[in-house]
Parts: sequence; C-alpha cells; structure tokens
Amino acid sequence: MAFIKLNDLEVEVEDGTNIIEAARQHGIEVPHYCYHPGLTRPANCRMCLVEPHVFFPPAGKVVPDRQLATGCTTTVRTAPPDRKLDGKYDFIVRTDSPRVKKAREDILEFLLVHHPLDCPVCDQAGECDLQDFSYNHGSGKSRYLEVKNVPPKKDLGPDVLLYSTRCIVCTRCIRFCDEVAGTGELGLIHRGSHDEIDIPRDHDENPLRLLDNKLAGNVVDICPVGALISKDFLFKSRPWFMKQVNSVCPGCSVGCNITVDYKEDGLYRIKPRFHEDINQHWMCDDGRLGYHYVNSEDRLKVPMKRVDGELVPTSWADALNLIVEQFSETAPESIAIIGSAQGTNEENYLLGKLAGEILKTESIGLFGREPGEEHKFPQFTIDADKNPNTRGARDMLKLGDDAALTGDALWSGVADAKAVYLVNGAPERPLDDMAKQALEAVDFLVVQDIFESDVAQLADVVLPGVTFAEKDGTFTNAKGWVQRIHRAVDPPGEARVDWEIIQQLANRLGGEMNYHFAGEIALDIAENMPDYQNATHQKIEDGGVNLVSEDS
Amino acid sequence: MVQERRILYEHLDVPDINTFDVFRQYDGYKRFEKAIKEYQPDDICDMVTKSGLKGRGGAGFSTGLKWSFVPRDIEPRYLCCNADESEPGTFSNRYVLERNPHLLIEGILICCYAMGISTAYVYIRGEFTLGKRMLDAAIEEAYQQGYLGENIQGSGFDLDIYSHPGAGAYICGEETGLIESLEGKRGQPRVKPPFPAVEGLFHKPTVVQNVETLCNLPFLMGQGVEWYTSIGRTYGDTRFDPPQSDPNTGTKLYCISGDVNEPGVYELDLGLTAEELIEVAGGVKGERVKAVIPGGSSAPILTHYELECRLDFTSLTLWKSMLGSGGIIVMNETRNIVDCLLNIMKFYAHESCGQCTPCRWGTPWVRDIVQRIADGEGRQTTMQRPKFGIAEGGRWGDTGEMEEVYEDLDLLESVANNIANVDTMTWNTICVFGIAVSWPAVSYLRKFRPEFEAAIREGKLVTLPVEEATVPPEENYAYQQRIVPRLFEAPT
Repeated sequence: MAFIKLNDLEVEVEDGTNIIEAARQHGIEVPHYCYHPGLTRPANCRMCLVEPHVFFPPAGKVVPDRQLATGCTTTVRTAPPDRKLDGKYDFIVRTDSPRVKKAREDILEFLLVHHPLDCPVCDQAGECDLQDFSYNHGSGKSRYLEVKNVPPKKDLGPDVLLYSTRCIVCTRCIRFCDEVAGTGELGLIHRGSHDEIDIPRDHDENPLRLLDNKLAGNVVDICPVGALISKDFLFKSRPWFMKQVNSVCPGCSVGCNITVDYKEDGLYRIKPRFHEDINQHWMCDDGRLGYHYVNSEDRLKVPMKRVDGELVPTSWADALNLIVEQFSETAPESIAIIGSAQGTNEENYLLGKLAGEILKTESIGLFGREPGEEHKFPQFTIDADKNPNTRGARDMLKLGDDAALTGDALWSGVADAKAVYLVNGAPERPLDDMAKQALEAVDFLVVQDIFESDVAQLADVVLPGVTFAEKDGTFTNAKGWVQRIHRAVDPPGEARVDWEIIQQLANRLGGEMNYHFAGEIALDIAENMPDYQNATHQKIEDGGVNLVSEDS
Repeated sequence: MVQERRILYEHLDVPDINTFDVFRQYDGYKRFEKAIKEYQPDDICDMVTKSGLKGRGGAGFSTGLKWSFVPRDIEPRYLCCNADESEPGTFSNRYVLERNPHLLIEGILICCYAMGISTAYVYIRGEFTLGKRMLDAAIEEAYQQGYLGENIQGSGFDLDIYSHPGAGAYICGEETGLIESLEGKRGQPRVKPPFPAVEGLFHKPTVVQNVETLCNLPFLMGQGVEWYTSIGRTYGDTRFDPPQSDPNTGTKLYCISGDVNEPGVYELDLGLTAEELIEVAGGVKGERVKAVIPGGSSAPILTHYELECRLDFTSLTLWKSMLGSGGIIVMNETRNIVDCLLNIMKFYAHESCGQCTPCRWGTPWVRDIVQRIADGEGRQTTMQRPKFGIAEGGRWGDTGEMEEVYEDLDLLESVANNIANVDTMTWNTICVFGIAVSWPAVSYLRKFRPEFEAAIREGKLVTLPVEEATVPPEENYAYQQRIVPRLFEAPT
C-alpha cells in the first residue's frame, strides 16, 4: 500500500492505482472523458489533469511539479524510504489547486468550441459527462465566434448511430472495439479538428464493414457524450424520467449484472453494471436489446383452459381448481414436474418441494431454451447456454449436472407421465417434432408461461407467469455466482409472480407453504442447501455471492 | 566576419561522394573501424557525454544523457534515425541524405555499436524521394561492402538498417509520433513517460536521433573529444551570454532563408549571433531586418532589437525562444507580421494530429482568430483600461496610463496560452506541438502588437515601418525577462 497525500487527506491506496481511481476511492471526483477503467489509457482528453508534488532540491522542499500530470496515467507506488516526500508520503497530489481548476476550465472551453450544444434534443442529456463537468468545472460562457465544424451524422451499424457533431474524440469506442471486442470496426478518419469516428468505407462512402458485433452496444454506454446513440433508445425517454433497478441479464448463463431502466409502462433500456468477476463493464447486445418481450402486447394476461380444443380465458380459481382436480385423480408416479432454467432459484425450489413433499413424484425435469452459439471475444464471452439459471434450477430440483433441458432424456420422461406441470417463461422456445409428440401424448398438461408459446399451445391449462423484470429472486450463473434480480414493473393483466402461483397450487394440493416474499424462500434455501448457505437476499445485495462449494 | 567551418558538409560537393568508393577515399567508414577496433561501447558513450553533443533535432537534449537512460539489459534495442525533416525553414538533413548518405550510415553504425543495437530504422520524410533513393542505394552498397549485415568487418557486431518513408505528416517528426508511424499506426505522439529510451519502438528501448546528430559521430570518433569541444563559440563576447558554463560544442547546420541575399545551409560554429549569421548569408535583402525566426516556424520570433542573441540551445532559451532545428527565417521591412503569423497558423492548424483536446480544437481556433484579424474583422471595444508595464521604480505594475482594449488580441493570447502557456512553459497537451503553436502566436503578438492593432483599427493588413511595428525593448517580455536576472548580479 502506498501512503499518499491527496489534497488535504492522508490516505492509503494500493500500489499501481492511478490518481483518478485513488481519488474516487476517497470520494473525490477527478473529471475525465477518455479514461475508462476497462480500457487502455491514451490520456488524450486532458481533462483529468492533477498537480503532483515533487521534491525540488534547490529549494530543499516539496513543491508542485512544473507540469500538471494526467490523473489517468499517473500511478502511485510505494517509494523507497529515502525517497519519501516530507518524510512519509509516497506521493503528494492535489486535484483542487487553482492551476488544476484553470486547466479544467480551459479544456472544457476547447471541448465545447465545436460542440453543437443541442442538449435539448440529445438523448444523453441528463447523464452526460460533458454537461455535468461543464456545469461543475466549466466557465459559463463561450468565447468562440468562428464557424463550427458540422461533420455528418452516421449510421454505424444495426443499433448504433453516430452524431459526429457531439463527439469529443475521446476514442473510448475505438479502444473498446480494438481491445474488448477485438473486432476493430471503428477508427479515426481525417486529422486534427476534422477527426471523425467512422467505420471503413470505400471511395464512394459506402460502408465496407458495419459496427455489427455482439458487443457493439457497449460503445453507446461508454460514450461520455451523446455522440454514439442506441437506435433502440433514440428519443424514447429522458433519463431522469426513468427509474432504475439493479438486476441480472436473463439472456444466458454468464449472468451479466445489469441495470433496468423502466417507467410505469414498461422497460426502456438495459445497461451493464460493473462486476469484476463476471462481466466487468460490459454486456452483449442479445441481452441489451432482448428485453422487448417484456413490454410485448402478446404477453399472457389471464389464465386459460382448453374447452373444445380451444384455449379460452378463465379465472385463476377455475384454472387452479381444474389442476387440483386432475392432479388428485392421477397417481403420483404419473405426474411430472418440469422446472424452468428461466425461472429463479426460489421458484424451482418451490417446484421441488411441490414434487417431493406434496405430490411425492420422482419425475422431475428441467426445461429451458435450446443452446445457442458461444461467442468468445478477447475480454468477454457469451455463453452457449441461453438460460440465466440452468445451474440454479438443477441445484434446486436436485438434478444432476447432466440433466438435459431438451432432447430424448427430457421427453422420454414426459412420455411416461399422464399429468405434467411445466414451467417455461422463455421469451421464445420453439419445439421440435419429438417434443411436440411427447407433450401431445400427455393427458393433462399445465403450462406456466409468459407467451402463448409452442408449448403453451399444447396445454390444457395455461397459467400466466412473469418475466425477470416483474419478480424478485436469485439466479445462479454458470460460474456459481448467486445474484439477485429485482422487480421493476408490474405483471401485465392478471399474470402473477411465478413462485406465488406455485405456492397457491401447492397449498391447494394440500401443502402448507406460507411465504410472503421471495427472500423468505431464499432463507429456506440457505438453511436446507449447504452450497447456498450464504445466498440469502440480505447477503447477496448487489454484488452476488459465490456458492460455498466454489469457494473451496 | 565569421567563417564557415565545414565538417559535416565538408565533402558534400565532392562528385560521387554518395558512392562507397569515393566516400572511402575521404576517410569513409574508417572512423567506424576505429570505433570497433579501439573502443569498447561504453567508451564511446563516455566520449559522447564528454563532447557535450546536443541533439540537433530541436530540443537540444544532451545526447550522452539520452543514451545513459537506455536500459542495457533489455533486448532488442532499436535506433530510429529521424529524417522526417518537416519544420518549415529547415532543410539541412536533406542535403546529407541526397548527397552524402554514407556519412549517415557511418554515424548510425557508431551509435548502434555504442548502444549494442542491431536494428536501425531511418524514418525519411515522404517528400524526400531522392534522399530515400540515395540512402537506399548507399545502404545496399554498405551491405555489399560488408559494413552492414552480420558480423560486420569480422567484429561480431551485427546491424541492419531499414529506411521507411513517412506519409507527409509534420507530427511524425516528433519522436513518439515517429515511432507510432513506424509501427504502422496513426502518427500520434505517445504519452510520456515512458520515454522512448525506456519504452519506444515495439515497446523496446529506443534511441531516436536526428540525422545531423548522428552525422556528428564519425567526426567525434575520428578526431576526438578535445578537438570536438574546441569547436563552438565560447561565451563571454556578447552582452547577453548565459551565466552558466554550458559550453557550445561542435558545428550546427544553420538553414537560413527568407530575406537574405544568399540563403542556404551554412555550417558554422554553434553559438554565433543572429547578426553574424545574417552577415554570413550575404546580409539582409531590402533595407533592414524586421524580424528573425531563429529555429523553425515554431520558435518565438526575434525583433531587430534582439539580434545580438546567440543562436545556440541555451542562450535562446534564456531569450524565451529556441534554436530548434536551426531553421532561420529572416523578414525584412516589407513583411507583415500578422500575415506571417496567419501563414504559420494555417500550417499548424492543418498539421495538428488531433489526438488531444487543447491542440485539436485550439489550433484551428487560433488560426481563425488570426484569419479574422487579417481579414480586417478583428474586434476592438471602445473601452480603455489601465496599462500594465514597467512602472515607476522599474517594477512591473500599473503605469498610470490607459490603453485601448483589443478583444481579439486578448482572446488570441489567451487561447494560445491555454494550449500551452508561454510564460510558465507548461502545456496541457500530450506533446510539444502545443507549445509550437502558442509560441509563435504569443511572441508575434506581444513583440509586434502595433501591427496587430493597426490591422484591427484600419480593418485591413497594414505593414508599419519597422520601428513602429516593433514593441520597444523595454516593453518586450522576452527582452525584459532576459535582462532582469542581471539586476541581481554583483556590480562590476
């Protein structure tokens, strides 16, 4: 640890920490644009200038260094005993001296000379570093009288627009594509004040390559100004009108930490949230743009039952009574319970209890989305398993690691059953012929789902469940991290939170479940499953906890 | 009158000196042979340190000191010869490349032997097509004659030289910009530290030296340190010599252009005065000198009052200017300083690499302001304000007079100083391009303010008579600051 003097604070920071991070750790903001903790440091924005102090032999004392230094590239290290400043400090730096403040003001003036100042129509307004730092550190007026550069707006790829006029050429996006995605679509064209971010183009300005990789959306997040804009979010909402909750991406078993921006009428945006061991600062576009199903008009809003071959809406009481009636008439060994790799640990735990303690059946399966492709990037991986909670569901249902989500193993079990309770909840899950045949052969099929999916269409009773954005709970990712999802919006129509449906059904079938919220179930899980002893909602908070078996 | 002393340029006019055989007749490669036979690499580094040789590329950094920073335990190390001579007003390296390329190769050989380097790159300005052809031919010949390649002259020392053309960017003459360009990237300077001597080309220790610096090495090797240090003007024969003992050693290739009768490259002892140099170059064309740019277009300008300053690395620093690349541009009474500044600012606005904020957007802004003034659209307010200067008692302060306020001149100075502060010599940019922009902008404005004011007042470019156009010495910031330390010296 290095002992440094940071303004008037005496603090300890780890060796190798740069000044921006050291200051951030102690509540001091050093404004910056080009620096991003997940990328290399070109020190080109010059916004993070700070004033290091050095020993000046002629004066025999420590004085401010002649030149200001960039906080991003200046790192602190433990100095040898004879090189300590003022006898004890490894480093002395000021982030608030008049010189530093003047430099910030000057840099901001330069940053704004060609900036269009179109905040009223800019998506970034409200969460824009240029806005915030200008307000905090800039001067109130511009002295620039000349003509502003007006570079063209550009369509960079499927989801990314570039408003070149707003760009401050911090090159975060270029570095992201080079370093994290490894795809290198972006670069600088022209030179000097005409610098523009662009994709490769031929002589007729036709794109030779688009910003079309699975991580492309991240450039929008890391853009400190409103230059890179997501087409998906363009003109949809002001940031300050949205509420935000922390959650976990349900797109695959990586379990990227996310924030969900929502209003009363649905989700608006998903952004990655930093987690050092899982997704760092990033997430993939499948997850980022995959939230639209939550807002869909086609969501199941009421329970349905099959009457004369057609699914017709019914009431919850009717639907549940019908299930209880049918299940009671069926021998326990002919009932199959199929949990969902899309569902939370809490739901699957209750399903496990329902199967084991109430229905006393041993036919337990797991259903989920079919594996997709794995995508590997230099600093990021998208998992092939397209379910957020395969591992957690297997643990809760006490299935082995080889329990199949699909294929023969699952459907041959189903074929033996007369009554099946299947929980789905995937945004899309097409069924192949074998699956269809197996499910059609079932006498009484209950499907809990969010859409009238392939599997729901075969059901005798359909129960409307909810998506990840409408419920609380935990997911266990492929690496054994148990993480929390939080409820953002209300379930549509009469749809109910999945674990509540399972609890109601279980109680009607003779069980005695009395959970009031998902956290209580997690406490139960922690008590009964040694691996999950730390996985209570209280302990997980926003960072997630590792499974106990993974720790050792 | 000062006489030329031709060392680097001695054989420049010998026919076919670019061929190995002729070069060989004039001691060619013999100095290198002496180096590998009689000296250990460390001895040569010592010699270079003792010689006081300063990098001739512009910064005037001690070559021996630079070499001492190179870690010897990291392999491989590289040499980059900077032949990207692109400072306006500078054209001395070009003659070496075009006429005597073997001299450069010999200099590279000595440097690489001293530093234990086995790969050297010569980064040649893209426009020097002839220079590159000549150098390539010379390199080819040197390989054939066994002076390049493996086990050179049986010494066990290997060296490969590659020449690489630039693509026309000024900034690639900056050492880290050059390295980036050589690596195949955009020519954008790197953040220092780490300096190239520690982490340069391909992240390995790299010595970057100008052509002229390297060309000094064979002569230093051949004739010894004592001979070398005996060359160069000693201090003490003009009024404004620097007080410290920082000797000028060796010759300098002064490129003199502009309003002189015999422009060209003159090899002279380092440290002659600007007056003397103009005399060597046949005197001023026209009636009198109005201004002199002492070291390439980025150097702060000198007024006709300041011509007694020495043209060497140390003295010019005290005069708040720099020798830089040694490109001296003389302007006579017909030149308009506003126009000259506009010309230079257009160049810098075009050449800014655009990597860091102040330079990217400040440089064109400065150009636009000067353009506006030159177009006669400069702004002046009717307001007056107290004039600051040398007040009663010889101190800086309120003079008791009032002065007109020229908004655009204040703005010009402020914007330029925000890119790089001329007074404190600090810059907010990554490289020194920032100061190369603000130096001319601020010095032209401060030293020739009447001409700028006239352009605004009259609404057009007005070329004033020399005396009227120039700020008198007592109001000249550089002149004043140069004099002030003397006040504290013991009376003689």
